[in-house]
Amino acid sequence: MTDRHIHDPLREEGHPIKDYRSGIPATPPSEDVTNADLSSAASRTLWGDAWRRLRRNKLAMAGLIWAILIVVVALSADLWVPQRYGDPELIDSTTVVERMLLKPSVEHPFGTDRLGRDILGRVIYGARVSLAVGIVAESISVIIGLILGALAAYYGKWWDTLIMRLADIFLAFPYILFAIALIAVLGRGYINVFIAIGILGWPTIARVFRSSILSVKENEYVDAARALGASDLRIMSRHIMPNAVAPIIVYSTMSVGGAILTEAALSFLGMGVQPPTPSWGLMLSEARAYLFTAPWLMIYPGAAILTTVLAFVLLGDGLRDALDVKLKD
Amino acid sequence: MSSRIRKSMAVALALVMVVAVAGLGGCKAKTDTGTGTDTGSTGATKGGTLSFYINEPAFIDPVNAQESEGMQVVNSVFDSLVDFDPATSEIMPSAAESWEGNADASVWTFKLRKGAKFHNGREVTAQDFKYAWERICNPENKSEISYHLAAVKGFDEMAAGTAKELSGVKVVDDYTLEVTLSYPFGDFEYVVGHPALGPVPAEELDTPDKVKAFLDMPIGNGPFKMAEPWSHNQGIKVVRFDDYYGDTALLDGVDFKIFKDEETAFLEFKAGNLDFTSIPGGQIEASIQEYGESADGYTIEPGKQVLTGSELSTYYMIFNTKDATLKNADVRRAISMAINREAIVTSVYEGTRSPATGIVPKGIVGYQDGAWPYAKYDKEGAIALLEKAGYPGGKGLPEISLSFNSGSGHEPVMQLIQSDLKAIGVNVKLDGQEWAQYLDKLDAGEFQLGRLGWLADYPIMDNFLYPLFYSKSADNHSFYNDPAMDTAILDARKVTDPAARVEAYRAIEKTIGEAAPVAPIVGYKHQRVGSARIRDFVFSPMSLAALDKAWIETK
Amino acid sequence: MLKYILRRILQMIPVFIGVTILLFILKAPGILPGDPIRMITGEKEISPVLYQTLIEENGLDKPLVQQYFIYLGKLTHGDLGKSYQKDRPVTELFANTYPNTIKLAFAAIVVEILIGVGAGIISAIKQYSFWDVLVTLSTSILVSVPVFWLGMVLQVIFGIEMKKWTGGAFFLPISGMSGDQFPAWVHLILPAVTLASVSTAYAARIMRSQLLEVMGQDYIRTATAKGLRHRSVVFKHALKNALIPVVTFIGLDLGAMMSGAILTETIFNWPGVGLEIYLAIGQRDWPIVIGGVIIVVFAVMIINLLVDISYAFLDPRIRYGGAAE
Repeated sequence: MTDRHIHDPLREEGHPIKDYRSGIPATPPSEDVTNADLSSAASRTLWGDAWRRLRRNKLAMAGLIWAILIVVVALSADLWVPQRYGDPELIDSTTVVERMLLKPSVEHPFGTDRLGRDILGRVIYGARVSLAVGIVAESISVIIGLILGALAAYYGKWWDTLIMRLADIFLAFPYILFAIALIAVLGRGYINVFIAIGILGWPTIARVFRSSILSVKENEYVDAARALGASDLRIMSRHIMPNAVAPIIVYSTMSVGGAILTEAALSFLGMGVQPPTPSWGLMLSEARAYLFTAPWLMIYPGAAILTTVLAFVLLGDGLRDALDVKLKD
Repeated sequence: MSSRIRKSMAVALALVMVVAVAGLGGCKAKTDTGTGTDTGSTGATKGGTLSFYINEPAFIDPVNAQESEGMQVVNSVFDSLVDFDPATSEIMPSAAESWEGNADASVWTFKLRKGAKFHNGREVTAQDFKYAWERICNPENKSEISYHLAAVKGFDEMAAGTAKELSGVKVVDDYTLEVTLSYPFGDFEYVVGHPALGPVPAEELDTPDKVKAFLDMPIGNGPFKMAEPWSHNQGIKVVRFDDYYGDTALLDGVDFKIFKDEETAFLEFKAGNLDFTSIPGGQIEASIQEYGESADGYTIEPGKQVLTGSELSTYYMIFNTKDATLKNADVRRAISMAINREAIVTSVYEGTRSPATGIVPKGIVGYQDGAWPYAKYDKEGAIALLEKAGYPGGKGLPEISLSFNSGSGHEPVMQLIQSDLKAIGVNVKLDGQEWAQYLDKLDAGEFQLGRLGWLADYPIMDNFLYPLFYSKSADNHSFYNDPAMDTAILDARKVTDPAARVEAYRAIEKTIGEAAPVAPIVGYKHQRVGSARIRDFVFSPMSLAALDKAWIETK
Repeated sequence: MLKYILRRILQMIPVFIGVTILLFILKAPGILPGDPIRMITGEKEISPVLYQTLIEENGLDKPLVQQYFIYLGKLTHGDLGKSYQKDRPVTELFANTYPNTIKLAFAAIVVEILIGVGAGIISAIKQYSFWDVLVTLSTSILVSVPVFWLGMVLQVIFGIEMKKWTGGAFFLPISGMSGDQFPAWVHLILPAVTLASVSTAYAARIMRSQLLEVMGQDYIRTATAKGLRHRSVVFKHALKNALIPVVTFIGLDLGAMMSGAILTETIFNWPGVGLEIYLAIGQRDWPIVIGGVIIVVFAVMIINLLVDISYAFLDPRIRYGGAAE
């Protein structure tokens, strides 16, 4: 271990609050985010216990149910939204004038936008973008973070130095500016938003995972496995992963909300998802000109972002308590 | 080298491209008549400080003044040789009291006013114009607006760094300036009305420190002088110049307040902290209801405060005529006819644009309504043309990519066009790009369908036809290339009789329209609003405020 | 201690160099499309002579690696180059905008301390009460709000609607830095509240959990058992210890705010560094982008270092270096 690990986690992470500026509500991960005292055998009941504890947490369950509901609604949208509320992307220019900027009504529960499209329909389709960004971008971060974190922790030495310094450099760069610069390099659009947010998320995951591994690695059963001639990969997958995975689950659940907020911010600035694809951030940027004349344009996409992110935050909080992961708050 | 220089000549008469909202311009907006009294009929003192929304300008030193924002300031601090009537664009005297061109319009003589002073107290002479123009043309000063003077003899030599002065600009005496051009150019008198071509006092620029100070606090000959150096990102304050040669301004001063975006500025206007601002898209209807619409579109009166007058500009789609699909003129014509311009005007712009029927906008001398036969919405006609082109119902037509600069408010227009084209069977993919990247692609011809907007520097037809359609012009992004039209444009520039010149240009516009290398969409109109307390305020078609005649009702 | 500070400073150097290399990679031709010199005039072509002058003057004719070392050389003299667009030294531009960012950051920190720490204390003292639940819930909501949306909502409520309801008697300025109607600090209120929203929620959460943890410790329980009044225990003993992590958090947050806040700055027309760098990326104004990020990263590092050092003074239990090596 280098000297980095004896200091207070909150400080030594250097930029635990880095992500918040960009709106990412990720809880600062700490160096002692482990449940190192759990053995492999105990882990089988761990998940059952955790689920029982999670179920008792009303807020977390509300978050879970809301998240599931959004997923179901977004996935099934093609079956009923266009039929009921019209195409969320196409516009009929001959009728646009009569259809635009209608106040919420029975026919259009959330009203219509400046191009006569139903806002409820667009909010529902917008969920697809947000959820996809949240899940895909977070998966990219987790994959890169796990690989690099594992390399750093398992092989140590110059691997460790190199990767952790790289993480420092990434975290030193102002987050949202970094995202904007990446989008500028990659070009705008759906996929590139996934990639940009995904790339930017790895350092924290890598740090969390690395410290989990480091604390597990010292345990006797790992030494024993190694003495028995187990391969690195086997030790990693059979002994280390199961015990280091809980903090990653907690952290990445919370970060899904952060990725959604970042996408909304990028789209708001015109650097994210491009029209006519409905995205909540894009809808908000269109709504800015109508703050006073048509406030419903702003209210619903904003509320959609808020509740969706909140669902993941509450779920993450609940998972943290349930899995007994000591992420410092 | 010389072909590059020709290129910069091409830009000589070029326009300024519109990025987002309208609002560039080129000319003065100062009338030569006025009341000159200090009190109005109400007995209130005519004065006050007017607060005026601008974006952070690039430059307020005329050496490089180029965009609408800096131009408002330059226009109030400097007077160039001629001026334009803020309402009619008619040419009128300013720093020059009279002028004339020779028989073939290649030599122009300007007679200056006597007794006109700079803000430092010294009299303005012909030498100050020569100095100012050479300052703009001197490559060391890195001016990006030297193209205004490209017609002047000696410009090429100065641009190349082989000459230290403009050989075509001769100071006959203190009050006589003689300008010789490299070629006959009947519209040159309009060019010298550009606010950035005003005189500059050399004694204020004789040390590097003074040059630096001048950037933030220029000293000119206009009705207002700088009150203090430009406070970057915050504001620019000018106050009345009491020694002005004409009628002194009525306002005590103008506070140009700098905002990054018009939404915020509009909120400040609503909160009562601004006298003049832009109206963001979406607020126009409501603003007209709340503040009333100006009768002529350019003048503000209490209760008639929203300005919707035409601007000298056109928003158009560009076809890449080198593209395999779009080199077929019938495909271009079909696309042009499929676009419902009226719907764009009423929904996105709430009536603050007018459907374009040709490339030259209303307000330019020689404007002809319906100049381009395919610049109109006719869905059936578009379907027929598409069939004629060999793509019945769009069958066999590959997806077309529509590139544009995103984040500047063009998204709704692009979405409407996309939907309109889908309705005739043309599938379009929207490709929003950053401005920097978009310009690269336009230059390189790496696009199929694009968009741009043009704003006139001076109210002349040549401003639209030469830069956009002359085959060697750098701004001809459709790559339209008709040798007959090239010759016709160059010939038109040599016509000295104004009426005959306009006729020549009109014929050119019609011929180009037949080929539909671009699809004109809408003409810009003002979307501005002023407070109820401002009086005698005119905002010209070239987007310059006539601040010298305005005043504030203080009660 | 001195040894520790020195090592921390040494550790900053590779990160700092890494950031500059990353910036120069972005600038490399072919990475980010868009000719910066062409951007100076937009679509209007500038004369070839001028183009060449600008290329040479900005050293863009040299190989990138050489440009990099020239830049580093100038950097050691505090020279960050000149903006392409504005033809002004980058240091001068940031001397104008950085104070705005600092003002906004400190105002946000004040909000964070007053509301965040206050709410956290109340929440902890009255654990499981109505107030505790309220604080817990509202902090969760606050961390989930998109800041730009919050900014818009606040503008509508306090800038426009409030003015309507009170007949113009009470409202807050919605943008800008100064105006005729209000003292300058009033202009800070809405942007500061918006910027502080997320951190305030975190400050409250940390305060609450720390205070609960400390109050659960033996010495506090002993003090209470000895008959000291609960409130004086909380304020004299528990709070002092519980505050340390909160102060650390706030210090680091201040550091993070030093890199500007693009969204808040956009919504409230606040001319800070975030917006300046953001706009420069679009303009390909590399001297502003590179110089700006360098300044910002440097400021963040310095503040983080100061936080670490003060942490050592606040909490004597921390021993730097040595022990585990």
